[in-house]
Amino acid sequence: MKINEVISSGLLESYVLGTTKPEETAVVNKLCKEHPELLKEIEAIEESLMNFSARVSTPVNHELKNKIEAHLTFNSEESPVAKIISIKKETDNRLTIYKLGIAASLLLFLTSLMYNVRLNRMYSKVNAELAELNAAKSYMAEQMNIQQASLVTMNMELQILADPKVKTIALKGMNSLDKKSAMVHMNMETYAVYFNASALPATPDEKQYQLWAIVDGKPVDAGIIDMKSTAQVFQKMRSIKGAQAFAVTIEQIGGRPTPTMETMCLLGNV
Amino acid sequence: MGAKQTYTQDELIILIREKNQKAFSYLYDNYSQALFGVINGIINDVEESEDVLQKTFFKIWSSFASYDTEKGRLYTWMLNIGRNLAIDSTRSKHEKIKSKIQSTSENVYKFENNLRAEDNNYDAIGLTTLLNELKDEHKSIIDLAYFEGYTQEEISKKLNLPLGTVKTKVRQALLKLRELTKKEFIN
Repeated sequence: MKINEVISSGLLESYVLGTTKPEETAVVNKLCKEHPELLKEIEAIEESLMNFSARVSTPVNHELKNKIEAHLTFNSEESPVAKIISIKKETDNRLTIYKLGIAASLLLFLTSLMYNVRLNRMYSKVNAELAELNAAKSYMAEQMNIQQASLVTMNMELQILADPKVKTIALKGMNSLDKKSAMVHMNMETYAVYFNASALPATPDEKQYQLWAIVDGKPVDAGIIDMKSTAQVFQKMRSIKGAQAFAVTIEQIGGRPTPTMETMCLLGNV
Repeated sequence: MGAKQTYTQDELIILIREKNQKAFSYLYDNYSQALFGVINGIINDVEESEDVLQKTFFKIWSSFASYDTEKGRLYTWMLNIGRNLAIDSTRSKHEKIKSKIQSTSENVYKFENNLRAEDNNYDAIGLTTLLNELKDEHKSIIDLAYFEGYTQEEISKKLNLPLGTVKTKVRQALLKLRELTKKEFIN
């Protein structure tokens, strides 16, 4: 039953007038405990009745109170409960409400503060975790790009090697590169030349390797070998037609039009 | 702000059970006039009503252990004691026992007559207005239900109205009373 229905049913009026049946009284008592607004309604009904009957007669004789009191027995000792009720009532109700209000808001503030601190901690932790995850993710993406690039390169190189028209020429080390070796791959149809420098030591800073093709007994510049490029193993050199042999010299940065014969370090016949 | 002490009904009950004198004082100050109005409404004799009011408070004090909060409001319980003592008093006075149903005293109307007859120092004008604003049917309902303690079944028989109608009329009457006493209070 809705509270408004209870209020408008007339049950509360009967309750105050004392004409409810015991089971109805029990229902009203129970509802009052659950809905304080019902108690307010009951008090208002009671007040209007008391107000009315108080006004329809002459005021009671002032003497009567003392006369009655003289015949009653009272307990002169205040019980602890009575004391508590008195003390409680002596403090200004409004002040109590303020105090309660302040206490409640303080409690609310502290609770929310604690909650905020906790929330903030959780937030920082989650944020840090997120940053970590993001870093891991970009690292992985980078790695994947590298892998992808190297896979593409390897595929290209594999294609070069797998081509039956490509001939591999081994260059043997001599002088400064004794016991070292390198390889040249040459397409016998297109004359494309690839140099594989993966097994060569690095040159001093001011020097570079330079590849020469020997055509009709004369050296022809086939290009400078870039030792800094790590992206691929094969370096595409100048296409040379009719090369009979390949040689590598160590030259100044930028290379030279003719080889310095003293610095020749690799040589191999086609 | 006047630091007037107020108790909730529950606090007051605890204190009365302990026979606390302050509690009696509070009980008397807050309830005696309302009870007196009902008693005098039934007896219509100030001196005798005062006597009955005295007896009422003696009984309230001595039999307070029998008051059970689960059975209703404190005022309702005290009202019953006062009303019964008042009815007993009129019966013994007239030395004839009338059945409650046959009793046709119309207390609220009596008040009106009293007001005209007596020149009292209480707010007679405000009260007359209040009574004039109550419809006749509301007057008789309040009279029977509040002053005479009729149950709704008894009112239904007496006024020859269906029980449901009585319930509605009791509520309407008390709502009107509430509105009027509130207005009075504001004035």
